[in-house]
Amino acid sequence: MQEQIDALIHGPQYATPQAEKDARLAPLLRTLCRDVADRCPPYRRFLDHFGGDAESWHAPADVPPLPVSMFKQFLLSAVPPEKVVRELRSSSTTGQQPSRITVDKTTAFRQSRALVSILKEHLGKERRPYLVLDAGDVVAAGDSLTARGAAIRGVGNFASETVFALDRTGDGGLVANWERIGDFFARHNGQPVLAFGFTFMVWTQFTMEAERRGANFHASDAVLLHSGGWKKLASQAVSKEEFNRRTAAVLGTQAARVLDFYGMVEQVGTVFVDCPCGNKHAPAFADVILRRPLTLQPVAVGESGIIEVLSVLPSSYPGQALMTEDQGVLLGVDDCPCGRKGKYFRFTSRIERAEIRGCGDTFAHNRELR
Amino acid sequence: MSVLRITAKGTEPAGESLGPLIERLRQHRDRLACTPVDRLLALFDNFAGRLLRDPRTSRLEGAMFLSAWLRRSNLEQLLALNLGGNLAHLDGFVPQGRNYLAAKPHGLVAMWMAGNVATLPMFSLVPALLAKNVCLVKLALPDPSGMDQLLAVLAESEAEGLRGVDLLDAVAVVWFDYHEQRLNEEMSLAADATLVWGGTDAVRAIGLLPRREHCIQIVFGPKYSIGLIGRKELENDAGLESAVAAIVRDVAIFDQRACSAPQTIFVERSDRRSLRQVGEIFAQQFARLPAKPDLDAYTASRILNVRAAYALDASKDVIASTDGANWTVCMDRGPSLKEAVQSRTVFLTEIDSWQDILPLLSPKIQTVGLALGDLDESLRFAEAATQAGVARCVRPGIMNNYESPWDGKLLVSQLVRWVTLKP
Repeated sequence: MQEQIDALIHGPQYATPQAEKDARLAPLLRTLCRDVADRCPPYRRFLDHFGGDAESWHAPADVPPLPVSMFKQFLLSAVPPEKVVRELRSSSTTGQQPSRITVDKTTAFRQSRALVSILKEHLGKERRPYLVLDAGDVVAAGDSLTARGAAIRGVGNFASETVFALDRTGDGGLVANWERIGDFFARHNGQPVLAFGFTFMVWTQFTMEAERRGANFHASDAVLLHSGGWKKLASQAVSKEEFNRRTAAVLGTQAARVLDFYGMVEQVGTVFVDCPCGNKHAPAFADVILRRPLTLQPVAVGESGIIEVLSVLPSSYPGQALMTEDQGVLLGVDDCPCGRKGKYFRFTSRIERAEIRGCGDTFAHNRELR
Repeated sequence: MSVLRITAKGTEPAGESLGPLIERLRQHRDRLACTPVDRLLALFDNFAGRLLRDPRTSRLEGAMFLSAWLRRSNLEQLLALNLGGNLAHLDGFVPQGRNYLAAKPHGLVAMWMAGNVATLPMFSLVPALLAKNVCLVKLALPDPSGMDQLLAVLAESEAEGLRGVDLLDAVAVVWFDYHEQRLNEEMSLAADATLVWGGTDAVRAIGLLPRREHCIQIVFGPKYSIGLIGRKELENDAGLESAVAAIVRDVAIFDQRACSAPQTIFVERSDRRSLRQVGEIFAQQFARLPAKPDLDAYTASRILNVRAAYALDASKDVIASTDGANWTVCMDRGPSLKEAVQSRTVFLTEIDSWQDILPLLSPKIQTVGLALGDLDESLRFAEAATQAGVARCVRPGIMNNYESPWDGKLLVSQLVRWVTLKP
C-alpha cells in the first residue's frame, strides 16, 4: 500500500481518467480507513455505525465521510502522543473550538511531497523568490501550526528566497510593509516570482491598499496563489473575477496567473488548484465528491452539492473521507478544456443557515435553564 | 418593487409603500364590524369543506387539520372559551347585570408571520377576522407557499349574506424584505395591534419598531418542545408502540420546524426495555414514513454532524436511516435539552424519573408530548411542568394541533377591546 500511495504522490497528478482513478483509490481508502479505525477507537465506532462491511466499499463514494467539524469536538488521533510530530490547528473564530489534527512523520512527509507534486504541475519545477502576504510569526517554530502556517510552509517548498510582506502591529493586527514589498519586486524585476496569502488578507492588506497608493509592481511573470474563505469578500460584493482582475493589475500580471486553491487544515497537502479555465481538479491521490443533501448520493454533472474531499495522504488521523461544510457545483468529468482528467468543480459557498426558520428555531440553552 | 401583494389571483407588485393598502383596509373596518359573527362562522365552515375538496389546497401540509379547525363547531368552542361563553359580545353590547359589555375590534392588526408552517397565517387571520379586525399580514418569504391558494379558495367560499371575496377586502397579505426598515415601521405605525410569530431575531427586531401608544403587541416567540415516555408506558407493548408512532407523526409534520414539534424525548429508565430498544422502535416508525421531499444543505450538514458526534462518543448511540439524511435517532443519558436539528432528528435521553427534567422546564418549553401511561402521574407532572412555565401537556399525536389557548394566550380575547356601557 505504501508504494502505491507514494507512486500516486510522485506521479502525474491530473492524467488519470476518473474510472481508473476510482479503481485505484477505492482499495487504498478501504485499507487506510480500516487501519486507522484499528488505532482510533472513536473512528472505529463511527465506521461500525455508518460504514457497514468495508469489503462492500467498491468505490470512493462508498466510504462513509466523517464531517470535518468532528475535529473540533474530538481529538481523533490514530497515533500515540510520542509519534505526533506536529499538531495542526484551524484558525478558529472567537468562541469556537479549533480543529486539532495530529500528524505523524509519515503523514507529514506525504503532505509535504504531495503539495509539491500538485504545485509543480501549476508552477513548474523551478524555485523562485517567494513573497508571503502574511507575517513571519505565523510560521514560528513549535509543535503546533495553524492552517495558515502549514500552507505558507507548504508553498515555501518552491522558494529560493522568502520575504514576509506584512508586519504585526502592536495591537496584534497586520500591516503591509510597502518598503519591503517594493524592494522584493525591484530586486526580482523581470523574474518569475511566487506570492501567496489568504484571500481576505490579500484583498484587504495588499490589493486594496496598493490600489489606494497607486502601486503597480510590473511583475509580469508573477504567480499569486491564494486560499481561504470567500465569505468576507462575498459580503463586500467582491467576485472571484474582480478579485483576480484587480489583484493581477496591482502585480502587473495576467488575471489567469492569480490562482485560488481549495483546501483545509484537516487535509493538508491535498489542495484543489484553479486550472486555466478557473475549475478545480482533484490530484491523483485524492478525489472530490459532491453529494445531494437529502439522499447523500453523488450529484450528476451540472448539479450542486455538499463537497466531500477524499485523500490517501493521512494515516495518523481519520482524514481519508471528509464531509466539508462547503457547497460546490460539479462541472464535468475527464473533459475540462484545460486537458486535465478526472472530476472538475467549482466552490460556490460555505453552507449557511437559512435566515428565516420560524418559531421552532430556538436553542436548548441548557446553561440558561439550569 | 419593494412590496409584493399576495391575493387570491396570485402575487403582484404593490409599489414602494404600504400606504394605499393600509388606507383601503381602514375603509373596510366599519363594514366588517357590522358583519354578524354567525355569518363569519358560516363562511369559515364553508371554506373548511372546500379546502379539502379543492386540489389547490387539499394537499397542502396541515390542510386536514386546518379544515377541522375551521369548522363551525370548533370555532364556536374557541370563541366561547375566549369570550366568557357568549359569542354575542362580538356583535354588540350584551347585558351584564345592570350594565352592558361588548367585545370590539382593535382596528388594524399587523401580523408578521414565521416562515416555517405554510398554513400558519390562517391561524392568525381567522381569529383576527372573527374579532372583526382588518388585517395586514406580512409573510416571511416571497414564495407564498400555498397562502395564495388558500386565499383563492377562501375567496370562492360563500355563506348566507357573506362572500369570501368580500371578506377578503378586509385583508392584505404582503411580502417585503425583512431588512426594509421603512416598510416595517410603516406597518407597525399603522397597527392598533401587532401579532408576531418568529424566532428570537425576528421577535426582537419587530419589538423595537415604533408603535402608537394604544397599540398592543402579541408575540408567539421561539419555543422548544419535548416528549416524555414514562416507565409504565414502556412496560405496555401496544401502548408504547402507538405512543412512539404518534410522537414520530408529531416529529414529521412541518418537518419538525414548528415550535410544538418534539426535539428531545425523555425516556424513563426501565428494566424491561433498554434505551437502544426504545430507539429501535422509533427507527421502525421513522422507516415507515414516506421519504422527505427535500432537504437544504444546512440542515443536512447539521444532521451529519450530530450523527457523527453521537457515533464517535462512547457514551452515546445513534440509529440513522441508511438512505441518506432522512431520519436520525440519537441516544444518550442524563437530563439535558439538545439543540434542535429538526427534519426528523430526535434525541432520546434516558432519565431515572420525570422529576429529573423539572429543572429544565421553563417558559421556553411550549409543549410536552406526554406518555406516562398513568393519569394521576400525568396530572402530577402537568402541575409541576406548567408551574415551571410549560404551556401545554398533551398526548402524543396532537402536539402540533393549533388550539386555544396557545403559548398561554387566548388569542381572540386579546384581539378584542372589552368595552362597557353603564346606563
